[in-house]
Amino acid sequence: MIRLVIVLLLSGCFTVATRLVPYFEQRNNQDSAPSVITALLGDSRRMFATHFFEKADAYFHGGLAPSIFDAPMKEEESHMTEEVHAGTTNAVAPAQEEEIPAFLQHPQDWIEKFGRNFFPVTHEHLSDIGKEEEILPWLKLATELDPQRVAPYVTAAYWLRNSMKKPDEAEAFLRQGLRNNPDSFEILLELGRIYRDNRKEPLVAENILQLALQKWHKRDAAGGKPEELVCEEILGELVRLEKQQGDLKQWLYYLEEMKKVSPSKDEIGKQIQEVKAKIGTPNN
Amino acid sequence: MRNAFALSGVVIKEMYRRKDFYVLFVLTVLITLVMGSINIFGDNQIVRYLKEICLLLIWISALIIAVTTTARQIPAERESRTIFPLLAKPVSRAELVAGKFLGCWLASGACLLVFYLFFGVLSGTREHSWPVLNYFQALWLHWIFLAVVIAAVLLGSVVFAAPSSNATICLVVIIGILFLGGHLNRVATNIPGAPGTILSVIYFTIPHLEWYDVRDLITHDRPLINWVACGLATLYGLGYSTILLILGWAVFRRKTLTL
Repeated sequence: MIRLVIVLLLSGCFTVATRLVPYFEQRNNQDSAPSVITALLGDSRRMFATHFFEKADAYFHGGLAPSIFDAPMKEEESHMTEEVHAGTTNAVAPAQEEEIPAFLQHPQDWIEKFGRNFFPVTHEHLSDIGKEEEILPWLKLATELDPQRVAPYVTAAYWLRNSMKKPDEAEAFLRQGLRNNPDSFEILLELGRIYRDNRKEPLVAENILQLALQKWHKRDAAGGKPEELVCEEILGELVRLEKQQGDLKQWLYYLEEMKKVSPSKDEIGKQIQEVKAKIGTPNN
Repeated sequence: MRNAFALSGVVIKEMYRRKDFYVLFVLTVLITLVMGSINIFGDNQIVRYLKEICLLLIWISALIIAVTTTARQIPAERESRTIFPLLAKPVSRAELVAGKFLGCWLASGACLLVFYLFFGVLSGTREHSWPVLNYFQALWLHWIFLAVVIAAVLLGSVVFAAPSSNATICLVVIIGILFLGGHLNRVATNIPGAPGTILSVIYFTIPHLEWYDVRDLITHDRPLINWVACGLATLYGLGYSTILLILGWAVFRRKTLTL
């Protein structure tokens, strides 16, 4: 009798499962239906997202932004994203700031010269006056318009956790970004930094960073040409973690991996020698 | 001049009887407050985006009020044939043009004052700072901008057949100058030959309305504009308004008033 009941229950479970699986699949498909913004703007929303991301950069520079008629700002002048990548071995030291940026240095005529009284012409950074939060609305809007764009998530999370001391909000925003970009190693790298620096959970941070490294290699193998700088950053974070935890073998392994992608091979070579000496491995 | 002031009083009364200003003001307030209520990472200190949106709405509203009010002044007088008793008072055509300009300009100034008061209260309550002089400069330059716009639309209202076409053409030209006016010479240097020369001539002829748009300075808490520059921009704007008004009068004095 008991056997019959068990068989009956199992068959009941199977029958319910055959009904539930298609139901949930259908629901998931409904969730991924295009949003109102997508329906209204179509692909042009990506253009608007770019505009709002650039607007955030202009806000970071106190309203200073080149127009489409001016020469574009040099890469090293975009400090909003540059600081996110700071701390890597090949990060360039910030150049001496010019009071007036290059694209505004030579007015062509008296109208242009006089007109400069009426819009911001001098360089200033929101980070210098502690108002980095002002860039966040535009970054958030950029992600609403183009959820597949990774840079706004990473930039916003960096400023949220570093300057505003809001790691919870930064993590929630990054996880939202990760749901929209499951293969993004940039988002995982930033998430790993939150767990290492803010949550003080090195093991979780290590797992996240290893996953980021896997995703980087996966994209590299698929011919996606991912940025080597990001790989170096991931390995740099892993090196720091292993050094902190005292795992010499893993430390050595990540240093050797880092040497393959870093332009500062001599510096890393020296570090490798030091770790090898600590382990006691004979020098080659 | 007394006649011109009397005419301007009529225009101001017409402005506060119409619903245009109230609708645009309520819309500006509502949109700004809704934008201000958005939760951005739980931070209440973020204010610059709100200032930018509010100032943009103020600029759009002021431009619409100024253009639509001015565009219908002379055509409405002609359509209702009230222009004949008006000119028989006697009011000269020059006084009529001056009175209409003055009325529209003062009425737009009153609207601007209300808009900027709202902006000042909004940013003051969020930022806890009151840069009154900066706001005064922004309001003043905006008002001078409207003087040029109103003079241009008055000229348009004696040149073009209908108020709608006049308003549309004027809006396109004004927005074009605001966005591109300052860059035309830079573009002209890259274009060889006659087209480049024509662009350069346009650049040096048009009123540079983009000077009066100081929203970025206000949004990003930049220091005060040099008062001398402010004064020169005022003279430049009033100079262009006078030229446009004289042109408008020159066309209007030869125009037959019967439809």
